[in-house]
Amino acid sequence: MGHPSTRVVQVARRERADCAAIDRTSSGHREAEARAQHVHRACDPMQTLSLRALRGRPIVVARAEHDWAPSAEEPADVEALRAELRGLGAALVVRSMGVAWLLGADDVAEPRAEGTELSELDAETGSAALVLLDPAGSVRFSRTLAPRRGLTAALVDSLRAARSALSARQQLPRTISRRDWLMTAIVASFAAVFLEACAPRARSGRGPAPTSPTAPGGAAQMQQPANELDVVLHVNGRDHALRLDPRVSLLDALRERLALTGTKKGCDHGQCGACTVLVDGRRVNACLVLAPMVQGAKVTTIEGLAHGDTLHPMQAAFLAEDGLQCGYCTPGQIMSAVGLLAEGRAESDDEVREMMSGNVCRCGAYPNIVRAIQRARKAG
Amino acid sequence: MNDRRIGPPLDRVDGRAKVLGQATYSAEVPAGSVAYGVIVGATISRGRVTAIDASEANAVPGVLAVLTHENAPRLPGAAEKKENARVVQLLQDASVAYDGQPVALVVADSLEAAQHAAALVRPTFEEEHAESRIEPVAGTAFVPKPSGPRPSSDSHRGDFDRAYEAADVRVAQRYTMPIENHNPMEPHATLAVWQGPDRLALYDATQWVFGVQQRAAQIFGIPPDNVRVVTKFVGGAFGCKGSAWSHVFLAAMGAKVTGRPVKLVLTRQQMFQSVGYRPQLVQEIALGARHDGTLVAVKHDVLSQTSRFDEFMEPAAYATRMLYACDNVRTSHRLVRIDASTPTFMRAPGESSGSYALESAMDELSYALGVDPLALRIKNYAERDLEEDKPYSSKTLRTCYEQGATRFGWTKRKRTPRATREGRMLVGWGMATATYPAHQNPASALARLQPDGTVLVQSGTMDIGTGTYTVMTQLAAEALGLPVERVRFELGDTTQPHAPIEAGSGTVSSVGSAVTTVATKLRDAVRTAASAEPTPDVYTSVARRGPIEVRHDEKEKDDRKRFSCHSFGAQFAEVRVDEDFGTVRVTRVVGAFAAGRILNAKTARSQLLGGMVWGIGMALLENTVRDEHSARVVTKDLADYHVPVHADVPDLEVIMVPDDDPHVNAIGAKGIGEIGLVGMGAAIANAVYHATGKRVRDLPITPEKLL
Amino acid sequence: MRPFTYVRPTDEASALSFAVQPGARFVAGGTNLVDNMRLDVERPRVLVDIGSLPLTGIEDRADGLTVGALVRNSDLAEHPLVTSRFPALAQALLAGASPQLRNAATVGGNLLQRTRCPYFRDPASACNKRVPGSGCAAMDGFNRSHAVLGTSSSCIAAHPSDMDVALVALDATVHIRGPQGARAIPAADLHVVPGDRPDVETVMRAGELITHVVLPDTPFAAHSTYLKVRDRASFAFALASAAVALDVQGGVIRSARIALGGVGTKPWRSHEAEGALVGKAPSRALFATAARAALQDARPRKYNAFKVELAQRTIVRALSTVGGVT
Repeated sequence: MGHPSTRVVQVARRERADCAAIDRTSSGHREAEARAQHVHRACDPMQTLSLRALRGRPIVVARAEHDWAPSAEEPADVEALRAELRGLGAALVVRSMGVAWLLGADDVAEPRAEGTELSELDAETGSAALVLLDPAGSVRFSRTLAPRRGLTAALVDSLRAARSALSARQQLPRTISRRDWLMTAIVASFAAVFLEACAPRARSGRGPAPTSPTAPGGAAQMQQPANELDVVLHVNGRDHALRLDPRVSLLDALRERLALTGTKKGCDHGQCGACTVLVDGRRVNACLVLAPMVQGAKVTTIEGLAHGDTLHPMQAAFLAEDGLQCGYCTPGQIMSAVGLLAEGRAESDDEVREMMSGNVCRCGAYPNIVRAIQRARKAG
Repeated sequence: MNDRRIGPPLDRVDGRAKVLGQATYSAEVPAGSVAYGVIVGATISRGRVTAIDASEANAVPGVLAVLTHENAPRLPGAAEKKENARVVQLLQDASVAYDGQPVALVVADSLEAAQHAAALVRPTFEEEHAESRIEPVAGTAFVPKPSGPRPSSDSHRGDFDRAYEAADVRVAQRYTMPIENHNPMEPHATLAVWQGPDRLALYDATQWVFGVQQRAAQIFGIPPDNVRVVTKFVGGAFGCKGSAWSHVFLAAMGAKVTGRPVKLVLTRQQMFQSVGYRPQLVQEIALGARHDGTLVAVKHDVLSQTSRFDEFMEPAAYATRMLYACDNVRTSHRLVRIDASTPTFMRAPGESSGSYALESAMDELSYALGVDPLALRIKNYAERDLEEDKPYSSKTLRTCYEQGATRFGWTKRKRTPRATREGRMLVGWGMATATYPAHQNPASALARLQPDGTVLVQSGTMDIGTGTYTVMTQLAAEALGLPVERVRFELGDTTQPHAPIEAGSGTVSSVGSAVTTVATKLRDAVRTAASAEPTPDVYTSVARRGPIEVRHDEKEKDDRKRFSCHSFGAQFAEVRVDEDFGTVRVTRVVGAFAAGRILNAKTARSQLLGGMVWGIGMALLENTVRDEHSARVVTKDLADYHVPVHADVPDLEVIMVPDDDPHVNAIGAKGIGEIGLVGMGAAIANAVYHATGKRVRDLPITPEKLL
Repeated sequence: MRPFTYVRPTDEASALSFAVQPGARFVAGGTNLVDNMRLDVERPRVLVDIGSLPLTGIEDRADGLTVGALVRNSDLAEHPLVTSRFPALAQALLAGASPQLRNAATVGGNLLQRTRCPYFRDPASACNKRVPGSGCAAMDGFNRSHAVLGTSSSCIAAHPSDMDVALVALDATVHIRGPQGARAIPAADLHVVPGDRPDVETVMRAGELITHVVLPDTPFAAHSTYLKVRDRASFAFALASAAVALDVQGGVIRSARIALGGVGTKPWRSHEAEGALVGKAPSRALFATAARAALQDARPRKYNAFKVELAQRTIVRALSTVGGVT
C-alpha cells in the first residue's frame, strides 16, 4: 500500500443549523480523528456568504418576504429555476430570515450567513427584492419583485422573460472578428435584457451601461419563421398546444418542446428504435413522424407508463432482469415491448427476438431484455 | 449467494430512473435560452477549403452565427498536442485531413433552423489523393511512439527465428479486420454555457469529466478550475467518449460567440467520422510447435492505421506476449498514416482484435497437430507471466476452461470439420481464450455523514452503463456497515474528488478501492466519535451532532508491481451455417470468466454478456467501409453498419468463476467491462471453420466469404 | 431539412389539388420520405399529408383483394385473407424493416420508397438518380448492396422493397388517380429500369396518387413464398430475396411467378425463369435451371458478384419450398 492521504473534515451543516459545525481541515488521519471527537462541541457560526468569492459569473440576489428554503419549495419549480440559472450561467442568492441561500444550477443549495457584503449591497440598492450583479461584482439592475405564486415561481418567470426577450432581440454579427472573442457578450446581453424584462421602469445601478451587440451592416432581414402551425399534441393523457415549424419531428417536439426527454434520439432515421413511442397504442419511431402528422392521435411515452410511484410491469421487469445498462435505448425497448405484448403475437423467445429487432441495444443487454419481456408477460 | 467472491445481485440503483425515462443525459440537461449547434463536415478526405459561402445559411431565420475558418475565433491552445488527448480541429485553418472534419459551425435558435442552415453552407474544396486502406501503403509503416501506461511497440524473448525453424509443426497466417465504430446509442452531445468571460460549464457525454476539463481549459486559455464539467448519465461509450473531440470545443466556441448556451449533438452519420474508431488491422501470426503440442515459437506482427496528424496504436499483440507458456516470442506493432480521423480505444482495444488473430492461429495449429483446441491451450498454460517475468496476481483460467467446457459439452465435440449437420444447417463449435489486463490508477473519493444519518459518497468517475453507481454504493455500504438504502453515491462532476477515466475496465479497481477506503475511514471516524462500533443507529446519533466528511486519495497498490495482473476467461461458441446462403447464426455461447472479486452478480453478468454480444458483431457483422476513391465513409448509419440486433443474439451463458486475488488492489476486483468480448471473435470464427471447413481470415464473416 | 408547406387534406379531391403544386409530395407513414428529407436528399416544397384520407380498407371484391394505399404494412401482413391467400405477401412484409416501421409504413409508401444506395443517400456524392448527370459513385465504389439486374451505365442502385417483390409475383395491380383520372398499372410495370434516366423511377406522373392495390385470385397465389437472405438475422435489407409462386397440377407446373429483390434496379420479375418452369415437373435440377435463367443477364460489379450465385440459390430454395422438393 502506498501512502494514501486522507482528510477528515467537519463540514457546514446543509440545513438550517441550530448549531453549525466548524469547517476545518486536517492533513493527517490521526489528527483528524482527534478533531472528530470534538464534533458535537464545535459551534462556530455558519459560513458567511462572500459575493467577492462568487465573482466571475453573474449573480442574482433575491430577497424573500417569507421563510424560504429550497427543500420547502415545489421541486418542479426549483428544477425550473435551476434550468434558467444554468442557461444564464448565473448563481442565485436568496435571502430569507437572516440566511442567504446559495444556489448554483448544479449544486446542492447551501445556507450561508448574511455578511457585511450583503449589508453593503442593501445600502446601495435599498429595499430592492431583486438585484443582478455582473461578473465583476457591479450592480447592473435592481427592482422590487411582486411574487404571485411564491418567490421561486416568480424568479423562474422573471428569468424566462429575460431570456425570451434576449432571444427575440438577438442580432449578433454574422461574422466574428477577433476582438469580439473575449467580449462579455453573454453577460452584457443578459444584464441588458434582464433589466428590460424585469424592470421596464426601474433602471438603476452603476457601472458601464450594458452594451447591445450590434447588427451587421447589410445582414439579411430577419424573417418570420416560415409557416408555423398550431398543433395540439395529446401526450400521456394531456393536451399540449404548440406553435411548431412543421419540420419538427414528434421526437424533437417531445424532447425539445415538452421536456419529455425520456424518449431518446439514437439515429434520427428509424434505424435504432430508441425513440419508440406508442401512437394510438401502436409502437412507432417518433423520429420519422412529423409532429403535425400525429394531431388527434394519442401518444404514449415512457413518462406515461408508470402509475405514480408504481412502475409499469414492463419497467419493473426490466429493472429486475437488468434489461439495461447505459439506459439510453431502454425507454425505446420498454415502449416497444409494451407494444409487442399488446400485439399479442410474439410468444416464444425467438419470436420476441424477431419482433424486438427494431430496438438496438449497443450495450448488449439483449438476453436480459428477452427475459424481462417474458417476465412481464407472465406478470400480466 | 454467500460466496463473498461473487457479490449480491442488487438491482441497479440508477435502474429506476432509467426505466422511468428520468435519467438525464447530456443533451437533455435543461437550460434556459439554449441555442442549437450543428457541425458542417468536410466532404473530402484530404485537401483544403478554398472558399466557403455562408450567405444562404446566414439568411435562414433563426440563425445566430455561422463560424468557419475565416471568422472563427483563434484559439492558440487548439494546436497544442497534449499527452493522452486527441488533436482537434476547431476551424483554425483551411486544411482538411479527414471526411467529416468540421469546416463550419451553425448556431441557431432552433434545431430545425440550424440543420437547414448547415445544409446551405457551401464550401469549395481542393481535393488531394486520399488513402482509404492500409494495404496499399503498407510500405510506409513506421514504429509508433511509446505512449500511455503500456510498454513499447516491439517485444522479444528467446529466439523466435531459430525456434520456429526447428519446430515440428508451423502455422503462419495473416488475419485482417476492418474499421469498427463504437456507436453507443447516445450520440456525442455537449451543452456549453459560458458563465462569464472566462468561466465555462460543459455538460458533456464523456467517460472522463476531468479530461474534458483539462483540455477545455488548455484550448480556451483559462484556468482548469474555471471549467466545470458535469455528466450524470452517459448512454454508452465503449471508448469513443474517452477523449474530448472537436465538437465539444466547437459547442463552447458557438456559445461564446453567440452569448447563448449551445447544445450540440452529433448526428449518427457524424459518429462514424470524427469520434474515433477501431483501426483497420492486418495481423500476421506465426506459431511453431512440437508434435506433442508444446509451443516453441510465437510471432505476432500488427499493422494498423493512424491519422495524418495524430497517433493511436491498437496494442493487438500485447496479450500474445504473455498468454501462453512459450520461450521464444516476438511481437511488433507498426502504423501507417491514412486519410481519416484518428482511431481510438474501442472496447477491449488490442485484446479483442489481437485475440481474433492469435486464437484463430491457435485453432489452426490444433488442426495441424491433430489435437483438441482446448487441450492445446491447456498444454501451453502459462503459470507465470514470462514476458514480465512475474507471477500472476491470480490466475484461475484453468477453472474457466474446465467449467466452460463442461457447461458447453465440449467433450462431445467431433474432431473433424463439417461433421455435424442439422437439416440444412452445418453446426460448428469453436473456443478461444480471453484475457484482459487489470489496471489501477490513482483515484480519490469523499464520504460525508449527512445530518439524517445517511452517507453521501462522491468521486468524479462515470457510469457508462457499467454499473458504477450500483457497485460503488455496494462497496461503500459494505465498508460502512450500512444498508445500501442509506448510502448515496454521486459521480460525474469536476467539483468532486478526482477520478481517472472510466475505461480499461479499471473503474472498480481504481475508484472502488478509493471508495472502500474512504468509507472505512468514515466508519472509523464515527466509531471514534461514538466510542462504539458503528451500527446504523450509531451513524444516526453521531450525525445529529454535525456532519463528518472524509476525503481520501488512493494510490496504486504497491504490491501490484510484483505481479502480473490480468483477468482470464474461456469462450465457447456454437454456430449454425446455412451453406446455401453463407449465413452464420450464433446459436449457443458459454463464457467462463475469472476476474477477481465480482461485486454484483447481476450487473457483472450484464457487462460480460454485453462484451459477448460485441463479439458476435465483430465476428459476423461490423464493418466500416471507406470509399476507395474518396476515402470517405460509406457505411455511416445503423442500416449500413450492422450491429447485432435481438435476433442475432441467443441466450448467452455466463459463468463467473470465483477468483481470489489478494494482490491486485484493495478490493480484489479486476474489471469485467471488456473481457467478455475478448476471444469471442475467434471462438465464432473457429466455430465457422468447424462447421464448414472454411477458414475465414478476414472479418466480418459475411455470406459472400462462405459461398 | 428544407422548409415546406404542410397541408393535411381530408378528402382525395383536395389532396390531388394540392399535389399539382410545384414540389408537392404526398406523405403517409413518413418512414422513407422523412428519412430522406432529413438527409437533404428529398426537398419537397409542399408536403401533403394524406393520413386522413379514407384509403385504409382491405376488402374482398370480385376482382380480388383490394388493399387501400394507406393500409399499414403490419396490418396487411397480419390480415387473415392475406396470410391464407397470399402467403408470400405476408412473409415479405414481415421480413421488411422493424415492427415500428411496419406500423407506420403504408402500402403506397412502400411502393414508392427510394433506394438505399449509400451514395444516393449522401448529397455530397455523385449520383445520377439524385442529380441527373452528376455521375455514379457506386459504379466503382462500394457496391456490395447494389443491383446486378436491370442496371445501366448510369445507375446500379437496388430497389429495396420486400413487399413490392411479392406484389409483382402475385400479379397485383396498382391503382392510381391523378389530374387525368384513374388508371391501373400492373405492379411489375410500376417501376422502370434506370437506363439513362435513373431519376425516373416509376411510370407515375406528377400529382398522381396511389389509391389501392388489387391482388387477384390466381391458381398460384396461395402456393407462394417469400425468402430473404440478409446479413443480420433481422432488420436488414435483402442481399437477395425471392418471391415465388407455383401452380402445380398433376405433377406439372402450370404457371409460375418468380420475382427477385435485392438484386434488381426494380422489383424484378423473371419471365425467363418462369418460362423455364412451365410445363415441366418440379425438381431441384429444374429449379436450378430456372434460377440460372433468372440471372443470365446479371451484370455484377466489384463487390456484388456474389449476388449472382446467392440469388440463384435463393430462388432454388424458395421454389423447393413451394414446389415440395427437398
